[in-house]
Amino acid sequence: MLYQLALRNIWRNRRRTLLTLSAMIISSALLILALGIFSGMLHDMLASATEQYYGHMVISANGYQDDRDMFRHFSAEKSTGTVLEQDEILGYSQRLRSFGLLSHQQNSSPSEILGVLPLQERTVTSLQNSLIDGNYLTDEDPNGAVLGSGLARRLNVVPGDQLVFVTQAADGSIGNDLLLVRGVFSTGDIGHDNALVLVPLAWLQQVLVLPGQVHEIAVRTDQPLNAAEVAQQYRAHLPETLEIFDWGAMLPEMREVVASYDVSRMIIVSILYIATGLGILNTFFMAVMERTRELGVLMALGMRPGQIRAMILLETTIMGSLGLLCGAVAGIALSLYMALVGVDLSGTLTPITYAGGTILPRLHAVIEPGNILIPSVCLLFVSLLAGFLPANRAARMQPVVAIREE
Amino acid sequence: MALIELKSVTKIYPLGSQEVVAVDDFSLTIEAGEFCVLAGPSGSGKTTLLNLIGCLDLPTRGEIWMDGREVSCADQKALSELRLRKIGFIFQAYNLIPVLTAAENAEFTLMLQQVGKKQRRDRVLQLFSELGLDGLENRKPSDLSGGQQQRVAIARAMASEPAVILADEPTASLDSHASEELLTLMQRLNEEQGATFVFSSHDPLVISHAKRVVRLQDGHLELDQ
Repeated sequence: MLYQLALRNIWRNRRRTLLTLSAMIISSALLILALGIFSGMLHDMLASATEQYYGHMVISANGYQDDRDMFRHFSAEKSTGTVLEQDEILGYSQRLRSFGLLSHQQNSSPSEILGVLPLQERTVTSLQNSLIDGNYLTDEDPNGAVLGSGLARRLNVVPGDQLVFVTQAADGSIGNDLLLVRGVFSTGDIGHDNALVLVPLAWLQQVLVLPGQVHEIAVRTDQPLNAAEVAQQYRAHLPETLEIFDWGAMLPEMREVVASYDVSRMIIVSILYIATGLGILNTFFMAVMERTRELGVLMALGMRPGQIRAMILLETTIMGSLGLLCGAVAGIALSLYMALVGVDLSGTLTPITYAGGTILPRLHAVIEPGNILIPSVCLLFVSLLAGFLPANRAARMQPVVAIREE
Repeated sequence: MALIELKSVTKIYPLGSQEVVAVDDFSLTIEAGEFCVLAGPSGSGKTTLLNLIGCLDLPTRGEIWMDGREVSCADQKALSELRLRKIGFIFQAYNLIPVLTAAENAEFTLMLQQVGKKQRRDRVLQLFSELGLDGLENRKPSDLSGGQQQRVAIARAMASEPAVILADEPTASLDSHASEELLTLMQRLNEEQGATFVFSSHDPLVISHAKRVVRLQDGHLELDQ
């Protein structure tokens, strides 16, 4: 009976109900979309930081990540045991690193040379997707190089050009050799685009006189946001000479950004729903106020205060549920569009590097359960809260006073 | 045992910084089966008295007893239960619930009492037949005339067979013909079914139909005949 009465009360003033529902639907849908885009930005930043360079975790010799001393190397095959065979590992890449001078004709530039096994590296990073010229390295390539666009510009090289790399080798000699430019990438991260060069692992091992040695193994997992826990589990299985860091330890600013995301999300949700909630509260209050006399009659007929309260709360709950259902559907649809198509803003904006990651000039949504669940739960809560005040007022009225009210 | 008993009842309303004594030291006994009118000019306290008898309001002083139970100190929940089980209301402005049909309005107290659907529909159809409302069951109050709405209000008041039916100025919104019809109908229900009616009215037509007239003046009993 209460349900039937509540349902009919909702539709007694269709225009007002539709307006209130519209406010609920639009606010939920836009909030879901906004959170989706916010998540997309965060994923872009995280991906730019991890999938362009660091990976989700890095295994290296103790102390290497602090000073990148070339003598802190290890043999990958002998040291990592079964750690890299776990199910949650999607890929790993053995790397040897060197810093030196790269030259082409009259131009030279300091650079970071990363020796990789190209097929392995593709399972961890996605630089191959950021190529703007030429091709990525192949495993058969003996001396190819793929370098960042800023570096290529500074050296004035294009694919097919020759480079000379000079550095100090592990045996104290001057290591130098020729490289052939195969491709140029542009990630939007200025640091990488201006200095990073990928070369075959074997080539760099030979230049540095470090045969069979690597400086680190970059790892990609299926749970990037839980990489810290995964790294913690693996730590026990590694020899004492090796250490493992998750991306959060490598990029503490990025970890702070991710950690502050939940707080930011709640602040955005709160601001929007305080504004929406006041609107809903006003509507519900008016709807109840104008029925004061009728509620007095219901009480005179024997309806208990608790039933009056329940009826009004039921009305607001039905409204809230309808609003969140339609809002969630609309929000998911908008987010899906933004996830699949998105909006390219590269014509008007440039990439922004922040906290080790890059915010790309695009609007791109990522659909996450929390981005749908939080606005939905909040809308229901706001509706109930907005209904509670008038419901409580109605339930506490004296029937004789309510009936007298015009 | 009297159906309703008021013992030295006083009701004082605050009005700004002053107080208005609406009913002053009033005592009254109403037996089951009576057809009684609380008469008097505007402001004499008849509606206040009706509200007190109907458990819509509580006295400032004095006692009100209904069916052997003191109600003047009961809480809201107990008063709701009492109104549901013992009292039927007919309001001056009908006060039907606009979102319910005529039949649903009449069934409302039975629904609150959780009477089965078929049983309450049978009861309401029977009442509609007696009240000349056949065929109007599914109409909304806005589609009914004033007289028809007042009949639906009577059906609502009578549906749960309460101990007493209270009517506040029941003819105030009706023309003389509809008023006469309504009073004849209530008189018949009183005589045939033994329903107890207590009215508040200053309409001479209502007073002429009453078996008992309790006349009030400034919150005091002036005449009981």
